[in-house]
Amino acid sequence: MTTEDYDPAAHYDRVTEAWGLLLGDELHYGVFETGDEPLSVATGELTSRMIAAAELAPGLRMLDVGCGSGAPACRLVEDHGVSVLGITTSEVGIEKATARAAGLGIAGATFEKRDGTDNGLPDESFDRAWALESSHLMPDRKALVSECARVLRPGGRFVLCDIIRRREIPFLELRDRREEFAVLRSAYGAARMDPLEHYAQLAEAAGLEVDRADDLTTETLPTFGRWQANLDQHRSRVTELLGTESTDTFERSLGILDAFWRDGTLGYGLMSARKPA
Amino acid sequence: METRRTLAEQSIRKFLVRANKDADAGVETSLFADGLGLDSLETAELSALLEDDLGTDPFSVGELPQTIAEILDFYEDPAAVSS
Repeated sequence: MTTEDYDPAAHYDRVTEAWGLLLGDELHYGVFETGDEPLSVATGELTSRMIAAAELAPGLRMLDVGCGSGAPACRLVEDHGVSVLGITTSEVGIEKATARAAGLGIAGATFEKRDGTDNGLPDESFDRAWALESSHLMPDRKALVSECARVLRPGGRFVLCDIIRRREIPFLELRDRREEFAVLRSAYGAARMDPLEHYAQLAEAAGLEVDRADDLTTETLPTFGRWQANLDQHRSRVTELLGTESTDTFERSLGILDAFWRDGTLGYGLMSARKPA
Repeated sequence: METRRTLAEQSIRKFLVRANKDADAGVETSLFADGLGLDSLETAELSALLEDDLGTDPFSVGELPQTIAEILDFYEDPAAVSS
């Protein structure tokens, strides 16, 4: 493909379709209560836990930081009667999300290109701030949390879930395992993981009161097996969409993540906090 | 004959090209946030490359150089040269 042929929207569509085949419609990890349930049930359970932690109610104004292609925002508006502003730094993501909301006739979900670590929105203008698996791609974690705290009204709630780092990784170990980490970077982008406690400390430092910090590592572990099964089922289509190298990298990443989950290096966490009234 | 300092600088420049960083950065440029912006994984990759090319590197012996110049200085240390 030449530079002239490159179409960001078409690329975004291909990647989104491939990730949908691999990760399921909700495009995020699953929380498995029994370990036997389908991935769709488990991803729904994670969303349900975020919704419960957010204490959603009709009429609330919500900020979705790292809104992707807008599917969660549209669903939150439809199912819970909230209004949502979704923000992302991806112009294509904004186009897709806006088109999605228009196509579904959802007026309560709007999307703007903004940086979650410097969102430029007015102080105290939202009742809820929500970051579902977006924080690991924002290097300035402190700015992300403080910006969410700033735009919350008194009594508002901030909820976040993401991959977490569960222990210090000494430099020499990082060096020895650099190829594994490089595979993860290639598959998922230049992510940085922090401990769940770090998120909680940032929230407290931003004036929020943390009321939930759940380590969901055990419950999310079966996710990788399900993603592998999805790859096995859709390998030819995924390879067509992503190419052989990216597909192989994704497959390698699954074994690495599974091992990191099991040896206590990485895991998954959910945190919620309230802005004092 | 090329000195170890020269070889180290060649390795660093090679790494910076491969890592899509500023390969022409001055030797006083910070390796981290305000300079080349290396993250921990990139630092580990640089460490491994230096060890592959020169037999030792400052990071793996517990030093934490902040600039390219500090890496180069390491290779002028007789202890590093003899390792």
